[in-house]
Amino acid sequence: MQELITLQKILYTIVGISLFSHVLGQSPPQADSVTRSLDEVVVTATRTENKVSNIPLPIQVISAKSIQLSGSQKLIDILQMQSGLVIANNPLGTALQGYPNPFGDGIQMQGLDPAYTLILVNGEPLVGRNAGIINLGRIAIGNIKQIEIIRGPATCLYGSDALAGVINIITEDPVKNSADFQVHYATNNTLGLTGSATIKHNKIALELFVNRYSSDGYDLDKNIYGKTIDPFVDYSAAAKLTYQINDKNKLTLSARYFSEKQFNNYIIYPESEPAIVTGTTIESDKSLFANWQHKVNGKLNYTTSLYTTSYTNNAAAFLKKSDSLYEKIQLTEWMVRPEVQVNIGKDPAALLVTGTGYSLENVNSTRYGSVKELNSWYLFVQKQIHLKEKTNIIVGARYDKNELYPSQISPKLAIAYKLQPDIILKGSIGAGFKAPDFRQQFLSFSNSLIGYTIFGASELSNGLETLQKSGQINPDINLLPYQQNRDLSPERSIGINLGVDYTISNHTVLKINLFRNDISNLIESYNLPFNKINNQAIYSYTNLDKVFTEGLEANFTYNFNKNFFLNTGYQYLIAKDKEILHKIREGTMYKRDPYTNVTTLVTKSEYKGLYNRSRNTANLRFQYNNIQYKANAFITVKYRGRYGFSGLNNFYNGNDILDDDREFIKGFVLMNATISKDLNRWEIQGGMENILNYTNKLLMPNIFGRSYFINVNFKLENKAK
Amino acid sequence: MKMKTLKLSMLTCAALVTGLISCGKKDTPKPTPTPVISQTDSIGTDFSSTGAYTFFSFKNNAVVARTDSNSTKWDFAFRFVNIIVNSQASGPGNVGVITQPGIYDDFKMAPETGYAYDTTSSRTAIDAGFTNGWYKYIDATHALIPKAGQFFVFRTTDNHYVKMEILSVTTNIPASNTEPPTEIWYKFRFTYQPDGSRNF
Repeated sequence: MQELITLQKILYTIVGISLFSHVLGQSPPQADSVTRSLDEVVVTATRTENKVSNIPLPIQVISAKSIQLSGSQKLIDILQMQSGLVIANNPLGTALQGYPNPFGDGIQMQGLDPAYTLILVNGEPLVGRNAGIINLGRIAIGNIKQIEIIRGPATCLYGSDALAGVINIITEDPVKNSADFQVHYATNNTLGLTGSATIKHNKIALELFVNRYSSDGYDLDKNIYGKTIDPFVDYSAAAKLTYQINDKNKLTLSARYFSEKQFNNYIIYPESEPAIVTGTTIESDKSLFANWQHKVNGKLNYTTSLYTTSYTNNAAAFLKKSDSLYEKIQLTEWMVRPEVQVNIGKDPAALLVTGTGYSLENVNSTRYGSVKELNSWYLFVQKQIHLKEKTNIIVGARYDKNELYPSQISPKLAIAYKLQPDIILKGSIGAGFKAPDFRQQFLSFSNSLIGYTIFGASELSNGLETLQKSGQINPDINLLPYQQNRDLSPERSIGINLGVDYTISNHTVLKINLFRNDISNLIESYNLPFNKINNQAIYSYTNLDKVFTEGLEANFTYNFNKNFFLNTGYQYLIAKDKEILHKIREGTMYKRDPYTNVTTLVTKSEYKGLYNRSRNTANLRFQYNNIQYKANAFITVKYRGRYGFSGLNNFYNGNDILDDDREFIKGFVLMNATISKDLNRWEIQGGMENILNYTNKLLMPNIFGRSYFINVNFKLENKAK
Repeated sequence: MKMKTLKLSMLTCAALVTGLISCGKKDTPKPTPTPVISQTDSIGTDFSSTGAYTFFSFKNNAVVARTDSNSTKWDFAFRFVNIIVNSQASGPGNVGVITQPGIYDDFKMAPETGYAYDTTSSRTAIDAGFTNGWYKYIDATHALIPKAGQFFVFRTTDNHYVKMEILSVTTNIPASNTEPPTEIWYKFRFTYQPDGSRNF
């Protein structure tokens, strides 16, 4: 408490200083401090460096500057303040009531679940999804150069999982000698220590980054034993070495390390008797990357790379009373991937890019029978065409061959047309796929408490046979029909984006994008029509559902004058299940009022779509720079409109679809503000997050109430050429 | 159980009253038909997938003692999400059941054929799996919700026809949030046609 008060005092002092400087700041500004150039260079769209204006795709760039100005330490906090991106918890993760959430938080994009967005670091994928979610806490943000977000299928370049799009986190390149340190302190005894250094000597440059981040966690519900977010300690480290051997050859080596230790403490009821369980969950993520670029001539260059990454999650819980092991869960995923990419062409807007790679993946878990492998090779080709300074075209396709499912061809076509110098029309259509995950393929799990069994699709045949042989399935049941043709196909999508970028003036840009994603072959669990001898069901996975999401994204950027910057965004979203719509049309979708028990047909207008989607979301980013006093104010606001939650306040009407106002969670607003003061080599930041103090302990456990932080940054720079 | 007796006696009262009124009318010598049992009821059982079944008779509108499980005194039984009917692998009766989509109130006649039986102990007439079964299981809250627009048509152990709809499944509320419940209650309504016809 004491420290909080101190923190508040410091903060108010900073706010005071800054208000003071704001008043004084009315004197004429001296220089243009807000970056006016909105044409950033990105790599995600073409796998080569390209200007945003050359790319006919909806692309968004979050700059290091805006991350730095926000003072935030968590990637998820930065992403959730962007328009159209919302945090999507796994519904299981929100209802665990004191149990550690094993899934982490993911990002919903264009209305699709976190499992449908590919997360890349420097163009290479992370592995280790839990229930489809990559825990974004694994990515430290202190050394991010920029975050590139592409909306719409990007499978044609990146393969599986890139259905809604790609979030590519690009880390700093070593370009000049410098050293940076940061101390971050925030509510809940959250401490972040960051250090980074860049050393450039002749042709060799090295970037080093270390971060330690820890927090006491917090408890949103005192009635439930254990904290909502358990205490944790994270360690991250990264190194990047570049060696410009000569004009034609460049070598890059990089390594990344992350580990998190969470201290769990919760209560269980093994035999209706409460027992306290304590333990730890240790998550770790390591990767190595080697890349050699060779320029053959002005028109031809190629890169050869080798990427390897591993992810482990080990949880061990002990009964406090007896100190005996209660549960141990282990998961290890590992991937190694050699790849060659060839770039042909002189004009960066008219390159031919082609590449091939082989991906070796394996997974080992206490819940899978043995080590499982998932190997695939792929080939991609993409051609950019630049016509008469007015038209940019991208046409490409990727072929993925895997042993476990039919090979996939994912084409893409994107066109941008400069109607006028300030109006660009953009249109793209692409196919995406998502390979069945390890759980859907390989799970072999029997619940010891209730006694049901779940088999991944490729385990089903053997699993059923084993159960019948051991007398757990009635010998009279003919298993044959359930052992054939049970292979899963990848989930498929077709995404269409149509948009316009309108540069209204030198400092005003409006971007509008319409999107539609049609997803088929969604993998769902189902129960077999017979039970085990103990009368409990057997479950497996099959391709079942079809859904679509569609909507509009709008983004408006405005530089008031040299010191004020404003960016605001809005997303309108509709996401529905096509099978439900079909049932409504044929008159077989019912609902039962829980109070009157009257059953009626659901009408088309009553059906509001998938749960956990907000029809309206909006965001605002406001930046004020005072040059004279070297101070900044940075405010971000995010509005998330109402969204459905199955079983809200125990309201059920018997169909598990969103068709009643009582199933909606009220919309909410998150607002953060940060003030920075530059003192030459030093910089001090103070901030307040969730100023409006929004909390929802059950459904949004990841949001703590109002919190405060201070950052002290120190920078040493030696401007070498 | 007390509640049921009370409800039952109220029903008897209602029947008596109707009886009295019809007696008051002198002109019709028609035989008074046995009244249709239309009842909303709740039965409870252990929150356990391995415990004993709770048996029910439509005709008597009552829970049947577990000691009578091997008789034709019962029509169906509950245990956690499993429902068995008194036939083949489950009992000596010949109870058949149809899982019927539609609106309960609008359903006026039981089909003549198409009834399913508990052929083996692990292949019962009523599917109890959480995706294709008679209920929806809500992951986030662990709630079991009977599917709307779906009910059961029984041909009972005494060869009469019944339509039955499960309205809700509730559990007792444990002392603590993380503690599992111990009892589960099924609220259902049914209409028993005592004249042996298939009309409701």
